[in-house]
Amino acid sequence: MTAVVDEGPPASLAARLVASPSLRLIGKRLLTAVPILLGVSVLSFWVLNLIPGNAAQQLLGAEATPEQVRALELRLGLDEPAVSRYLSWLGGALTGDLGASLVSDQPVTELLWSHLAVSGELVLLAFLISLGLAIPVALLAAYKPNSLFDRISMIVSISGLSVANYVLALLLVLVFAVQLAMFPAIGFVPLGESVGDNLRSLALPASAIAFPLFCFYTRFLRGDLVDQLQGEDYIVTARAKGIGPWQVLLRHAFRNSTFGLITVVGLNLGTLIGATVITEQIFALPGLGQLMLQAINSRDFVVVQACVVVFAVVAVGANLLADLLYAVLDPRIRYGSR
Amino acid sequence: MRLLSFLLVPVLFAVGCSGGASPAGPEAAGPPQRGGELTVLENASFTGSWPTGLDPATNTTGGANIPMMSAIYGGLFLLRANDDGSGAEVAPNQAEGYEFTDGGTTVRITLREGIQFSDGTPLDAEAVAFNFQRALESPCTCKPTWPLADDGISTEGDRVVVLRFTRPYAAVIHSFPASNVNWIASPTALENLGEERFKIEPVGAGPFTVVSNTLNSELVLQRNPQYFKEGLPYLDRLTFKSIGGDQPAYQALLAGQAQAYEGLTTTPLLEQAQADPRLTVTLQPPTSPYVVQLNTKAAPFDDEKAREAIYHATDFEAIARGLFGGRYPVSQMFTGPGGLFHQEKIEGYPEYDPDRARQLVTELGGLDVTLGTLNSYVAEQVMTALQTQWKQAGINVDIEHYQLSTLVQEFNSGNWQAMLQTAGAWDPASGVGVAFRFSSTSPFSGVDDPELDQLLNDAAATIDAGEREQLYRQAGELIGANAYAPFGLAFAPANLAVKGVHGPGLTTKIPPIVVNTGVIWDEVWREQQ
Amino acid sequence: MAVVDAGAPALADQPMAPRRRGWARGLEIVVPATVLGILAVACFLGPLVLPIPDPIGGNVLESYLPSFSPGHLLGTDPNGNDILARILHGGQSSLTVALAVNLLGLLVGGTLGALSGFAGGITDTVIMRLLDVLIAFPSLVLTLAVAQSLGPSQTNTILALAFFSVPAFARVSRAATLRLRELPFMAAAGLCGTPVRRVLLRHVAPNIAPQLITFAMLGMGIVIVIEGALSFLGLGIPPPAPSWGNMIAQGQQSLSATPMLVVWPSVALFVTVLAFNLLGESLRARWSRQ
Repeated sequence: MTAVVDEGPPASLAARLVASPSLRLIGKRLLTAVPILLGVSVLSFWVLNLIPGNAAQQLLGAEATPEQVRALELRLGLDEPAVSRYLSWLGGALTGDLGASLVSDQPVTELLWSHLAVSGELVLLAFLISLGLAIPVALLAAYKPNSLFDRISMIVSISGLSVANYVLALLLVLVFAVQLAMFPAIGFVPLGESVGDNLRSLALPASAIAFPLFCFYTRFLRGDLVDQLQGEDYIVTARAKGIGPWQVLLRHAFRNSTFGLITVVGLNLGTLIGATVITEQIFALPGLGQLMLQAINSRDFVVVQACVVVFAVVAVGANLLADLLYAVLDPRIRYGSR
Repeated sequence: MRLLSFLLVPVLFAVGCSGGASPAGPEAAGPPQRGGELTVLENASFTGSWPTGLDPATNTTGGANIPMMSAIYGGLFLLRANDDGSGAEVAPNQAEGYEFTDGGTTVRITLREGIQFSDGTPLDAEAVAFNFQRALESPCTCKPTWPLADDGISTEGDRVVVLRFTRPYAAVIHSFPASNVNWIASPTALENLGEERFKIEPVGAGPFTVVSNTLNSELVLQRNPQYFKEGLPYLDRLTFKSIGGDQPAYQALLAGQAQAYEGLTTTPLLEQAQADPRLTVTLQPPTSPYVVQLNTKAAPFDDEKAREAIYHATDFEAIARGLFGGRYPVSQMFTGPGGLFHQEKIEGYPEYDPDRARQLVTELGGLDVTLGTLNSYVAEQVMTALQTQWKQAGINVDIEHYQLSTLVQEFNSGNWQAMLQTAGAWDPASGVGVAFRFSSTSPFSGVDDPELDQLLNDAAATIDAGEREQLYRQAGELIGANAYAPFGLAFAPANLAVKGVHGPGLTTKIPPIVVNTGVIWDEVWREQQ
Repeated sequence: MAVVDAGAPALADQPMAPRRRGWARGLEIVVPATVLGILAVACFLGPLVLPIPDPIGGNVLESYLPSFSPGHLLGTDPNGNDILARILHGGQSSLTVALAVNLLGLLVGGTLGALSGFAGGITDTVIMRLLDVLIAFPSLVLTLAVAQSLGPSQTNTILALAFFSVPAFARVSRAATLRLRELPFMAAAGLCGTPVRRVLLRHVAPNIAPQLITFAMLGMGIVIVIEGALSFLGLGIPPPAPSWGNMIAQGQQSLSATPMLVVWPSVALFVTVLAFNLLGESLRARWSRQ
């Protein structure tokens, strides 16, 4: 990633956003998000229809008679053709009504909010932990490239990127919950009940998600910083002006690198909620991933559909944000390709 | 016995096995103490999911949710047993007694006097009849299969409910503990709250009342001050939590997040827990054995020779020792040693004989089998072992893992060949009993034999226990003689509790009614520090 | 898993490896490549030449043998199957799945991306939006649908995973093509009126190939991890056929009592993924220097 401007203060970012080409770009991108979301909802409805078995069968279990199943299907409205079910779903979704769970009859929007809160907090904590560690480590590593610290941090981070997160989660449980009994092995305590217990219950799952992110951000940021320190003219200028090495690193190189970092974080956010599925499973957290997995297993397709759309909105939104930032920050892309 | 199996079986631990095994005998617990809280974990893939709420008439997973249901509603009848699991019987609880008349076609159930729901309304005959009616219309497979006559439910006065059947039906009382007619909900509360709210905040006359209920995840209960038994329940608060499996449950117990877990099935964890002085492990007397169902209505198992080959090729003794550390006995019929009418040996049962199996396969000109099962950790291992054994007898085996719905499709299609399942219940006539797997009218049976149907129906109708035993023995012999389906080890999940927790079914033995033991929650107590 | 997934394209654009002397640079590639070579030989040829039991069909009475037992170097699983044999055979399926998925992704995604970047305009928009739909779609749902409607198997796992590697490869390929398009020789080709197919094959493909192959190296590691995740959820390769993922999944059911059932396949998984990551990184560093 190249530097944007020599000493770009945050104010100039806002100024850029207001500038007309950017606004037009935002509008254009927002418009493209609509067909994507529509496409996702059609695709998921179609795919869910491929899965054998339905909620009625699943609810009644292996011992149910065909008559019992048919009666329940009728009650749940599963006998209607897929297209008309999709259209009525879409009609509801556009007015903010995602229907009621086939299984529990609870309003889906309610379910989504309560589970989204858990996943949201988990992801937020994971970001805080990973960035909070990655930034100082990357700065120290970039301060003296190829130093012992740099080498060790690079070895740790590439190793960390090679650990499957389910293995890491199991390892954390084994050591910190079973052996040392420092953190609970499973479960979630809502923030409203006790802040301390809430953080304790999320410590292990958030760390399991944060560790690979930390490794990734460390490598990314350190690489970006080193490149800038070695190649960029403005760094040479700054050095020539007699500014100290830490000052150059923090004031100039790091400030520019944050833009790239923001883009990458935005891209990550899109898929991170999906990555929480296994973690939530291992730690028995009532998050969005678990809601979706449970709903798939019980063939509660109304809930699955809603989860898919939420995941898609987050992914598209994050991508959009990343794209926009990238475009705003790097003028060559903005004017070059379109 | 347990010591012997430890010596016989080379069960070796990689790591984490401490030397001092806890003494086998139950420790002196002292008199029960009042007060305290208890958190109980339930496996999410079975007992720990209640997606449709806890109203007996609309809960479609009621058969699995027995812990929650009996904590809230108590139950008209309960299965009780001595501490070692012997002498099990269905005892009246909210009911006071029952009486058969008209040659077993009528049963009169008398209720205890003065029981009230926790909303203050009376649990009387009218309320019970109302609940029976609702329960029988329920979509749950836990509704009983009574041969009820038209208008077969009536009341006599405030305390007597009368059930009339089209034929003698002696098994009716034994069908209560595992079915939804056992749980009586308050009709008034149901009307006031409406079905939608009632299934979240149900009102019964059981030992506990609902504080909060998050479907599939957590149910918090507190002591019912109006409970009809003096001084009970002991606990102030009882919480059920859903958990993903044996390993996380074990960890949660050690981490102090919960004090009990129902339904442990993983052998290495069982051994580890038994070696842990902090835990009490209660192995329940097994009632339902594994069975390899063979579809006698289609090739290749319409040929008795092929079925015999499977019997002779199957060595469940080796599976019981290798996979389960020799803890569970192998059965030759449809009940385990913990169940009623169990016979140790069935005359003429075709036993393990690999040479004979190979010979039969050669005579048949080879044998190709598709063996299926429902996806589960334990069943998967048993199936892999069976595949290996059958291959050694020259049988080609394909393994299929089914989801619930695909399993049902497979049964309905009639094209299936062999299925690894469990058969039986504490009383073979109730729950997923023997008829479910062997009667010609059941969609989940591979057998079509009028003689067997007759035996099973007669047995369910007979009141005299000796006669019933005789009939079930004949049924067992008939199954063996025709090589309808080889039985395997009878398996029952174990319960874990941290030291200081006591209760019937939790730390004492009670045969599982269907799969899990019905814990008697009002008598569960915790030692106070 | 998916964490790294999304970041990888961005990562692939970043030159960052510390600059080393020639021989060190050589080692960076030779060491992981050798490790991978040894792994591949061990997994595919090992069971043929070494005195190792079958991965299935073990004696159930020899269940749960500890590591370093006679005849079973890494012990046995609950069914008495040799764990070393299962790791080697599991490696076959992990490597096969990863290779097939990346090959499919590289060919299909690479072509779509190059076409998209080269043609621009409406073609670009349509292709990229369609791929955006795939990217925004939670991979778990589709894999579940595939696994449950077609049944879990190696082929179905490959198909399901390929769906998600295509957009990633397409993005890398498109970005590379866009950069390429700015270069003078491409403009020259355009001016000469060379047909599109020829330009794509003769000029674009060879020039973006190194970047795609580098990305595929990183992709190999990612796919091996994701395949494990699917098997972990019971949606990948069905037991008793071994895969590292289903071995870990089986072992974690009794993690505290038999941790080695999880440790050995995890070690195999880690070493393999690390080797692919190191190789990918070194290759990328080399290309970005040129």
